[in-house]
Amino acid sequence: MSETKEKEQSTTHKIGIYLWIWGLLFVLSFFSYMVDWYQFQGMLRWSLILVFMFAKAGLIMAFFMHLYWERYALVNVLLWPMTAIACFIFLMVAEFEYTVFTRLFYFVVGG
Amino acid sequence: MSDPKIDGLELKPGFKGMADDTGSDQTMFKGVHWGKAMMWIFLLSDTFIFSCFLISYMKGRGSTLVDWPNASEVFGLHVFGVEVPLLLIAIMTFVLITSSGTMALAVKYGYEKNRKMCGWLILATAIGGLIFVGMQAFEWSKLISEGVRPWENPFGAKQFGSFFFMITGFHGTHVSIGVIFLFIYAYKTFAGHYDDRKRGWFTSMKGDYVEIEILGLYWHFVDLVWVFIFAFFYLW
Amino acid sequence: MSDEYENKTGYQAQSSETISSGSGGGSRTASDIDYVRPAEVTDQDLYHGHSFITKWVFCQDAKVIGVQYFLLATFTGVIGLILSWLMRLQLGFPGAAGFMTAEHYYQFVTMHGMIMVVYFLTALFLGGFGNYLIPLMVGARDMVFPYLNMVSFWSFFVAVGVLLASFFVPGGPTGAGWTLYPPQTILEGTPGSGWGILLMCISLILFVAGFTMGGLNYLITVLQARTRGMTLMRMPLTVWGIFTATVLAMLAFPALLVGALMMTLDNVLGTSFFMPTIIQAGEILEYSGGSPILFQHLFWFFGHPEVYIVALPAFGIVSDLISVHSRKNIFGYRMMVWAIVGIGGLSFFVWAHHMYVSGMNPWFGFFFATTTLIIAIPTAMKVYNWIITLWRGNIRLNVVMLWCLGFIVTFVNGGITGIFLGNVSVDVPLSDTYFVVAHFHMVMGIAPLMVIMGAVYHWFPLVAGRFLNETLGKWHFWLTFLGAYSIYFPMHYLGFIGVPRRYFEMYDSPYMTSAVGMNEFISMAAFIVGAAQFILIFNIIKTLKTGKPAGSNPWKANSLEWLTPSVPPEHGNWGDKLPVVHRWPYDFNVPGAKEDFITQTTPPSDVVGTEVEKT
Ligand code: HEM
Ligand SMILES: [Cu+2]
Repeated sequence: MSETKEKEQSTTHKIGIYLWIWGLLFVLSFFSYMVDWYQFQGMLRWSLILVFMFAKAGLIMAFFMHLYWERYALVNVLLWPMTAIACFIFLMVAEFEYTVFTRLFYFVVGG
Repeated sequence: MSDPKIDGLELKPGFKGMADDTGSDQTMFKGVHWGKAMMWIFLLSDTFIFSCFLISYMKGRGSTLVDWPNASEVFGLHVFGVEVPLLLIAIMTFVLITSSGTMALAVKYGYEKNRKMCGWLILATAIGGLIFVGMQAFEWSKLISEGVRPWENPFGAKQFGSFFFMITGFHGTHVSIGVIFLFIYAYKTFAGHYDDRKRGWFTSMKGDYVEIEILGLYWHFVDLVWVFIFAFFYLW
Repeated sequence: MSDEYENKTGYQAQSSETISSGSGGGSRTASDIDYVRPAEVTDQDLYHGHSFITKWVFCQDAKVIGVQYFLLATFTGVIGLILSWLMRLQLGFPGAAGFMTAEHYYQFVTMHGMIMVVYFLTALFLGGFGNYLIPLMVGARDMVFPYLNMVSFWSFFVAVGVLLASFFVPGGPTGAGWTLYPPQTILEGTPGSGWGILLMCISLILFVAGFTMGGLNYLITVLQARTRGMTLMRMPLTVWGIFTATVLAMLAFPALLVGALMMTLDNVLGTSFFMPTIIQAGEILEYSGGSPILFQHLFWFFGHPEVYIVALPAFGIVSDLISVHSRKNIFGYRMMVWAIVGIGGLSFFVWAHHMYVSGMNPWFGFFFATTTLIIAIPTAMKVYNWIITLWRGNIRLNVVMLWCLGFIVTFVNGGITGIFLGNVSVDVPLSDTYFVVAHFHMVMGIAPLMVIMGAVYHWFPLVAGRFLNETLGKWHFWLTFLGAYSIYFPMHYLGFIGVPRRYFEMYDSPYMTSAVGMNEFISMAAFIVGAAQFILIFNIIKTLKTGKPAGSNPWKANSLEWLTPSVPPEHGNWGDKLPVVHRWPYDFNVPGAKEDFITQTTPPSDVVGTEVEKT
């Protein structure tokens, strides 16, 4: 396996930043647990879940996986394919609604 | 990590830098080790696997007409006479995030060539992973004792059991593989294979501390997936 | 890239254009002009095999692995071919294949389809050509992870083994069609509903796992291990095609993996992912509430990109062959690259055009018909560019060129019927008829096959050091081309009169009697075409020892694979010095140059005063 010629400049990051992110992750996890604890329902629940989820995911990717410090060439290669997943999710939402509709419809009307 | 220096090349930041890197010869990801680039691309592929699982779960859960069980009750624990919702899952999340933190520090100390510290942190990560798998086994056996099976579910829709066992099982497999590698790498670190650039057992390629970052990427990814499973399976 | 940009970043070799136009020239010395930035990474550290086993069996040399992939894929391809013979025998002359029952027919259709698409074409293009050509063409010593690459081939080997084993298990191979749609896949009426489908799923999972290991190699080699001076926009289109196809594979195979896994669970554990409440032979099964259409979505989220996994390498390879053999630069190189990338990207947004009649959400028709027709634009651009490349070229009408021309014709033919099928209202009456069979065989069966053949005749002198026999080659081409047309062209008509796909026989339907004669004709043609392929195998065996020696760079091509110090190239490819690249691989017939080609390694100071393309 090759090594980069110029040895990694040993530009590691201060320990503080890791501890900070670590702490934040605990706090966010705690918050998302609280969403369940207080039994929020409906839109509020779903949006809170999503917000905390994306915040946690973002922190892990950006700092623990160092994406924040990587060059854009790598970051973009990793993030653009997610549009295909987004499209898939979006369409499958439409699809399950339609499936439910047909199921209910044929229960009522008969096959 | 961070901006490397490349002979005969001025690396610009941001989108300009991206255009330059893409248009340049030799490498597109400047200063990124081959193995690390490979792990990233692999994780991208793995992301698609987990996305497909979760999308299937969404489609399956959305289109069944039978009620979906209330996760908060199903996964509740009875401790000291009170019913605490999702307690076990909360602890599992805590453990996994802890191990992610120790892994991040291990990578840092690895690059600083601090062999001892790095080794201990990897070992701590491995143990965290082991605890996680153990608790998952406990959770599975609890559900099974309550009658939930991949093919049936006394609390409601059948698909609940199916998706639960499949998705957590697939994630648990990832964790277990990670744990095995963590133990191996802990050994290799303590034995000084990365300092001596000793050749690998199978690939016969020279060792390097970058391998710890590569393993770290995988481990953080496992944590990342858990974030999504936690949100969609347990909280939703 | 503008002049100014190059000077500022100093990334690349000075293009020779700058010299000939005299801007800033004059006082500069040759070494100034030919400057290429030093290497970023140290030379690759390779494992050299010592014994027979490490050199030829568990070998880590990408070239040997490429040949291994090629041979095994061809072997499975021959099995697929034999199955198609058996089917055609039944269709043309019902009852002539004595043992054949309807169940057998289903099984053969399924195995033929799956083998041809996945185990033959995908493995051949990416595993075979990818392994052999990528490192050579980008100037690397080998793939970046040789060990993983070796494991990749052996996973493929096991996958093929498991697939073929399903012919010998109780119940035989699955007969559900290569699309494996549940619920019928795992219901008793379908042949191979127990063991057959289980082995199929296991084999696919193994294939995907093995392919992932190979795919990571191809991608990282292209991205991170190019030689000095080799920018992405100086790579031969072959590499672009294989690279993009690999990206698609890495992102599309996950959906197949997930689908196969869930199907296995439905089959073995009795989960209800895909299985609704259903009655089998008068008895209500345990399943309930599953979603069969989910499988179709997963399958086609994989399946459509899969079509392009087969097509894109073919596009890339044919571009190079056309350019070399008509001694002209490829018309619109950048457009070709963007078309490949664009087609690749779009292919993730069109999958449900295979599902117009599936009972999905009806609104999807609008979305998917639109995206499908948009893909036709970059595809058509590519076809125009091939034709313009040929236009007024110095065409060598050799066997390689014949295959390329054959490709263009069949591809255009299949592409046009694709536009028919992309429109919902046209697809609805035509789907599941022979029109569809004709369409996909033209566009993803025969067309890529033509490219493979062309590529074999083109690169055989590199791999074996000898030319294949041209006369035999011409026989092979004309029999295949005319024969394939005789098979598939009439099938469009069969589709129009409503002959359904995947039917064992026509039974007594009166309106299909006109199809009987045609079916006989098609079957005869299929036997001839199939037999003609053995001409190639014979040709290879014959010329391996006695063919005309090729020497180095026999076609006078520019790309790096022809410029190795020894032919055939050895392990490590380049001897002790890696090549340095100064230009793109398409400098043919450059005005002012001594010869009609300028290799990629020719430094600018050697071609002063010529009008080379600036890359
Ligand atoms: C000599 C060449 C070939 C002949 C004579 C041939 C013949 C056939 C026949 C008779 C069928 C079954 C049609 C039906 O009953 O529905 C079929 C299906 C199919 N073939 Fe071929 N084929 C050939 C080559 C190929 C190649 C190179 C591919 C690669 C893409 C291919 C892919 C398929 C697929 C995907 C199916 C559909 C299987 C299914 O319906 O599940 N074939 N072929
Ligand atoms: Cu398609």
